[in-house]
Amino acid sequence: MPPLFLSPLIAVLISYGLHAVLDFRILQYFISSFFILAMCTLWVMWAWQMDFWRSFSAVCMAGILQVATSALAQLIFLMFPTDLGVNIAAMVISLFFSAVVAILLSMSCFGSWFRLLLEDQVNLYRITVLLFVLEVSMEVFFLLQRGVQGQYLVAYYILIVVLVIVISGLIVYLAHRFDDSRMLQAQQDIIAQQQFYERHLEDIRQEVRSFRHDYKNLLAGLFQQAGEGKLDALQSTLAELGADFDRHLGEKIQMSVQIGNLQIPQVRSLLLSKLADFGKKDVEWHLEVLYPVKAVGMNMWDFVRCLGILMDNAEEAALETERPWVEIVLLAQSGRLFLQVSNPYISVLDPEKMWNESWSTKGAGRGLGLPGYRHILEGYPNASSYTSWENGVFVQELVVED
Amino acid sequence: MIGIYLCDDDEAVRHQIQTALEWKIFLENYDMKVMCSAANARELLDVVESSKRGIYFLDVELKDSEWDGFRLGQELRRRDPHCTLVYITSYGDLAWRTFQYHLEAFDYIVKEPEQIGPSVSQCLEEIYARLLAERQDPAEMFTLRTGEIVRHVPLGDIFLFETSPTPHHLLLHTSNSRIDFLGSLNELEMQLGDRFIRIHRAYLVAADKIKAVDLKHNKLWAGDYECLISRAGKAELRKKMGGSR
Repeated sequence: MPPLFLSPLIAVLISYGLHAVLDFRILQYFISSFFILAMCTLWVMWAWQMDFWRSFSAVCMAGILQVATSALAQLIFLMFPTDLGVNIAAMVISLFFSAVVAILLSMSCFGSWFRLLLEDQVNLYRITVLLFVLEVSMEVFFLLQRGVQGQYLVAYYILIVVLVIVISGLIVYLAHRFDDSRMLQAQQDIIAQQQFYERHLEDIRQEVRSFRHDYKNLLAGLFQQAGEGKLDALQSTLAELGADFDRHLGEKIQMSVQIGNLQIPQVRSLLLSKLADFGKKDVEWHLEVLYPVKAVGMNMWDFVRCLGILMDNAEEAALETERPWVEIVLLAQSGRLFLQVSNPYISVLDPEKMWNESWSTKGAGRGLGLPGYRHILEGYPNASSYTSWENGVFVQELVVED
Repeated sequence: MIGIYLCDDDEAVRHQIQTALEWKIFLENYDMKVMCSAANARELLDVVESSKRGIYFLDVELKDSEWDGFRLGQELRRRDPHCTLVYITSYGDLAWRTFQYHLEAFDYIVKEPEQIGPSVSQCLEEIYARLLAERQDPAEMFTLRTGEIVRHVPLGDIFLFETSPTPHHLLLHTSNSRIDFLGSLNELEMQLGDRFIRIHRAYLVAADKIKAVDLKHNKLWAGDYECLISRAGKAELRKKMGGSR
């Protein structure tokens, strides 16, 4: 951090240094701009704890807006020439216009749209490149003011401002599109879950109907057996009644109960969609949620992401075996929540590699994998994990204290 | 003398189980006795203070607002850590993995009228066999707590302990598990003595699991895990290995 505080000083020194050394004004401008961009990126990374690409995007956007501010300032100069020392006037007017532009931006909620756009993980690099290219283009375009003849300058400056407004509009448009696609995805997820749940209930409904039918016949038989005094036959029929119920309806009702105990909407959503996926891929699943799960001692989305990673991994490993199955156990106790995901596996496991593989091996939409899981947990001292692999069963456990 | 305790609100079921148990005990001449047949959790808990390795047959669906089968099992496990828990269920589908893992429940029995007697008998036989096996000296264990779960890891299986990126957490590595838990390497070093060598601020390695040492590059391999050696660690190594490596 200390170097960060010194960086403005370093940037100033570098500009002066270049001034002395280089004659090529444009090259000098580029180099000092580059340093300023780098310095601002580092400041943003530190101040808002963002990663490099997002910070750089933000700084480029800021650069584009700054070009507009400078253009506006120059415009004012042109229209109202002043006798004050040029530098002081320049600073004052620039500051004034920066404030005006900032107020306009916050009133139009540009910031929240921009932040939203930065959440698009898939397209982040493209957005950064786009913003960088736009920033460089605008800066170069602005530099060209030296070549514009006097009477065209006003139009030139106005053009610059208009261009920046158009670029901002483009950014907001991209953010809108991203938002729409996210909503669409979320809706599709909800639909998939509802369908899964509906199918589950439909199965129960069918079972109830056929059970009612069989039940009536069985009862008639029992009535008759009782009338004829055939106690042994009676007993075995009664036993069969109970077993039949368990085999068909009982299990399904039990599963509804377990799912019903998931009282955190995001967790339930994720689980249902993963279970639906298991069903499609013929992976047997077993879910146990003995007590209602109402809260977790960590950020809900982090927990959901961890759960997703564990289930994805379990599914992937299980699919390599002959009879794939995944078992999920959630136990809510006062003060903590246990999560356990188990699956069979056949390939030889290398513990070091498993945890250290780079994130990208899983592919863009696939999620973060085990290293991502570990990274998330690093931020939670109240969470402990346990991993074991023996007898062909891989078990992942997570304990989160409140 | 091992005590057997029953808890189920259905008297007929308790009677059936007790009969089956007493018959089996008599037949096989087990050193066991049915101490209590309680209709509800409170009655049972009043009798059990801190028993020694009792056997408990508990109804899963106890109709008590404060004590359900699972909570009762937890309380019994707390009072009698080495007890055996057997659950009685009418549906045959309980959250068995949860009971098995968090309570170390031994088995469950389904309340089918014909089946109870033989199931109970069979169960008692298996419990007896397990109790016999337990009598032998258990291997030396390393115990760690994660909330309510107490885990025992055979000391001989542990390759190394290392600090975890999460503050105040450690990682334990065996050949087939990786456990993250709250702890401090300093405390462990003192607790575990000579079997483990502190080769680095972040690594505590099992002496008998060291596969290879590269002193020039300050690296060491415990099993397949690569660890760093610090200067102080090198001195520790030399001291404990007696210069033979």
